[in-house]
Parts: sequence; C-alpha cells; structure tokens
Amino acid sequence: MFEVFAAVAIVFAALMVLSRNPVRSVLSLVVAFFALAGCYVLLFSPFIAVIQVIVYAGAILVLFLFVLMLLNVGPERPEKTGRPIQTLLSGIAIVLFAGFLLSTLRHSGSAAPRALAGEPNVLGRPEALARELFSGYLLHFEAVSILLLSALVGAFVLARRDREPRG
Amino acid sequence: MTLLDWTILVLRVALPALILPAIVTPLVWVERRVAAFIQDRPGPNRVGPFGLLQSPADILKLFMKEEVVPTSVDRLLFFLAPGLAVFAALSTFAVIPYGSSITIHGEEVPLIGANVSIGLLYVFAITSISVYAIVLAGWSSNNKFSLMGGIRSSAQIISYELAMTSAAAGVILAAGSFRLNDVVGMQAGTWLGFVPRWNVLVQPLGFLIFFVSAFAETNRLPFDLPEAEAELVAGYHTEYSAMHFGSYFLAEYINVIVASAMTTTLYFGGWSLPGFHPSGILGAVASIAIFAAKTAFFVLIFIWVRWTLPRFRYDQLMTLGWKTLLPLSLVNLFWAAAIEMWRMGAGH
Repeated sequence: MFEVFAAVAIVFAALMVLSRNPVRSVLSLVVAFFALAGCYVLLFSPFIAVIQVIVYAGAILVLFLFVLMLLNVGPERPEKTGRPIQTLLSGIAIVLFAGFLLSTLRHSGSAAPRALAGEPNVLGRPEALARELFSGYLLHFEAVSILLLSALVGAFVLARRDREPRG
Repeated sequence: MTLLDWTILVLRVALPALILPAIVTPLVWVERRVAAFIQDRPGPNRVGPFGLLQSPADILKLFMKEEVVPTSVDRLLFFLAPGLAVFAALSTFAVIPYGSSITIHGEEVPLIGANVSIGLLYVFAITSISVYAIVLAGWSSNNKFSLMGGIRSSAQIISYELAMTSAAAGVILAAGSFRLNDVVGMQAGTWLGFVPRWNVLVQPLGFLIFFVSAFAETNRLPFDLPEAEAELVAGYHTEYSAMHFGSYFLAEYINVIVASAMTTTLYFGGWSLPGFHPSGILGAVASIAIFAAKTAFFVLIFIWVRWTLPRFRYDQLMTLGWKTLLPLSLVNLFWAAAIEMWRMGAGH
C-alpha cells in the first residue's frame, strides 16, 4: 500500500514538471500531495497527513490556481534547447543526485518506515505534538511565526510600492 | 478480520453514502414547497400526492437529457470536476457520529463511518477538495462566466474557511479532542438539572460565525456569488448539462445536509439529548432520530434564509468575512480559552 502511494506521488510529481499546461501542473502537484498524505497515514501520522492536505492542497495550491486563472496563463511554449554544455551539466547533476539518493537509501535501508511505526509516534497524536511544540520548541515556533509575518508585510509593501500616493 | 467485521465496516461506511443522496430527492421538494409558501404561491403540487413525485420526475429527466459538451472544453477536467464535487460532499459525512452505538456479538460498534482521532480536521481537509470541484469546472469550461464563478468561489471559500476553522477551534479547545464523538460526549448532561450542556450556550458567538460561514462554504444564498444568475448566467456550471449539472445540484444539497449535521454535532449536542441514555437497538434508533431531527431543523433554516435574504455584493461578502467574522472568531477563541482556564482553576 505504501509503495502504491509512493509511486503515485512520484508519477504525479514528474507530471507536474513535464506538463506544458500550468493548470495541469498545479493539479498534478495536488494529486502528489494527496498521495503523500496517504503515505503519512500509513506511517501512523494522520495528523500530519490532514494538515498537509489542508495547508498545501487546500490553501496554497488553490491560491496558485487562483492566480493562474486570474492571469489566464496559457500553455508554455517549448523553449529552444540552450547550449550543449547546459544539457551535459544537467545530465551530470541528475546522475550525481540519483547516485547520492541510492547510496543513502542503501545505508538506511527500506526499514525506515517500519522503525517509525513501532515508536510511540509523537507526530501522530495532536496532543503530543502540541505539547512538544509549545514546550521544547516554543522559541522556534514563535520565531517562525515572526518570519512568516515579516514575509507577509514584505509582500504587502512590494505590492503597494508602484501605486501612486493618493491626494 | 472475520466476514462479520467486514460487513459491519462496509455498512458503516456505505450506509450514509447511500442514504444522503436518497434524502436529497425529498429535500428538493421541501425546498420548493417552502419557497412557494414564503412567496405565497402553491409550488409543485401536480405530480403525485402533494407534488411529492415532482423531484423523482426531475431527476429522471436529468438522467435522460442529452449531454451537450462545448467543443473548446478541457475534457478530462470538465468531466472530473462534477465527480469530485459529489465525492467531496459524500466523504465529509464519514467522521460525523450519527447515532450512539449498537452492540453486535458483544462488540460495541459506534454509529459513525470512521471514529478517527482527527475527525474535525478531516472535515476541513475534504472541504478544501470541494473548492477544486468548483474551480476546475470554471476553468475547464473555457467560458468567461464559468471562470468568473470559479475565481469568485475559490476566493470566497478560502476567506470563510479561516473564520469557520477559528470558530470551530473554540469547540475543539473545550472538548480537548478533534474526535467528533468526544465533542458529542462532552455536551451530554445538564447544568442545574435542566439546561443542556450544549456548546451553543457557552460559545454563542462561535456558533453564529460557524453557521454564517457554512452558508458561504456551501455557496448558498445570501452568499451564492459563484453562480449569481443575474451577473454570471449560472456561474461555474454554466456549460454543464444533464446529469453532470445534476451532480453539482446533488453536491450542493448534500453539502447543506453535512453543514447542518456539523452544526448539530459541534454546537447542539449531536445525537445526545439531556436525560436520554440510549441502550439497545431501540436506543440507537432513537439517537439516530434525534440527530436527524436536529439536522433537519438546520436544513430548514438554510432554506428559510435562502428565500428571505437577497444576495450580497462581492465586496460586502469579503468585508464581512475578513473584517467582521475573522476578528470575531478570534474573540470567540479567547472567550473559549478563558472559560477553559476558569474551569481548570475551579477543578483544583
């Protein structure tokens, strides 16, 4: 079951990159996120799974879709392939990354999900997660919220800047 | 798992999913008759006794009608969207407890699709899928009215989801659990012997915000801007015909039922009633009846409001959501937290 969800997530993540139509890309990503949520459920973390769907699929990607539809972005035209050195370098990067990923997987083995499932899972239960978050990680949590606030204010300032002052 | 376990599981999951669409048929008739009563006209009264067969006839018509698909639609998404709408509407009900519990072979089976620890969050997650059903319909139709409806709906649902979630957070705070059966459990019993311990009496503001937001989330009047017929022809489902249009119709009514059931569960004690202690099969049936009666009451309010209030303007809708309901829901959250602090202090 885990393998099925993982495969769906990978296939749709690939479709997200390969699709020429931006709206289809966003939708592929939505499916990938749902598959990922399925993986979390199978890892005994339903809370993370649901938060993942609410935050990413439910809020962020809907906003993406909203902007795409509002601007009416058409399908991308295939770009002309750049210099051959770019193709070569990206090929090397892909091979290197794949090798790195495979070696990491071999060292940790595929036992990672099973080990997690056996533990008294902190991320699975909302109460335990909240206790951790608001005791041991309180400072980090508050710091992140201030970071988000500053990002929000920054976006607002940037959006307002080129508007003429009134009066 | 034995065969019996599987049967129980399938029944628990499938029964609400089968019963909900079946309720929609008479509900449409109720809506039209109530509308007619409010507007001082007879309403559908020709087909069958009291016009009761009008809805089945209409549904038969929807199934038999020719499907007209415009040439320039994105076919995959165009046909996916209505299915998604019905799927999202039906699957929300899975975590709502619709009755107490029945004992089969010494095993207690709670009357709920899935008694999961994240019940309420699951409902909000599924609500976020239903946005896609409308947005995709609007986009894939390749029609400017549909697109406007889709854009409006995504902005509207996201805006009101915030207020709705914050209002519901007050209930979660009081119950100490996302499990909806725990939310029902904490509302059992009475204060002073006769006042039911319903959340609506502790958090009336939270109830008001939740219920108003529910109208926006279900695209019902006075917040039905995604399909405002005076401006957008029929909004996001302009290009749909036959049963694909019917799917949106069905999803809207199921959403109304689910929103009413959620209101009942969160603020009005769900299937419980003061002084009522369900036991045996009869008790279970009685608890389902109590739940159904409370839900039906809120469905009637949905219909009543629809035929009473005119549609909001879009800027009014946004102002209400962001500048009124959201701050008020934070006030409600502080209030709920204060009560909880006081209760914990009193316990020591």
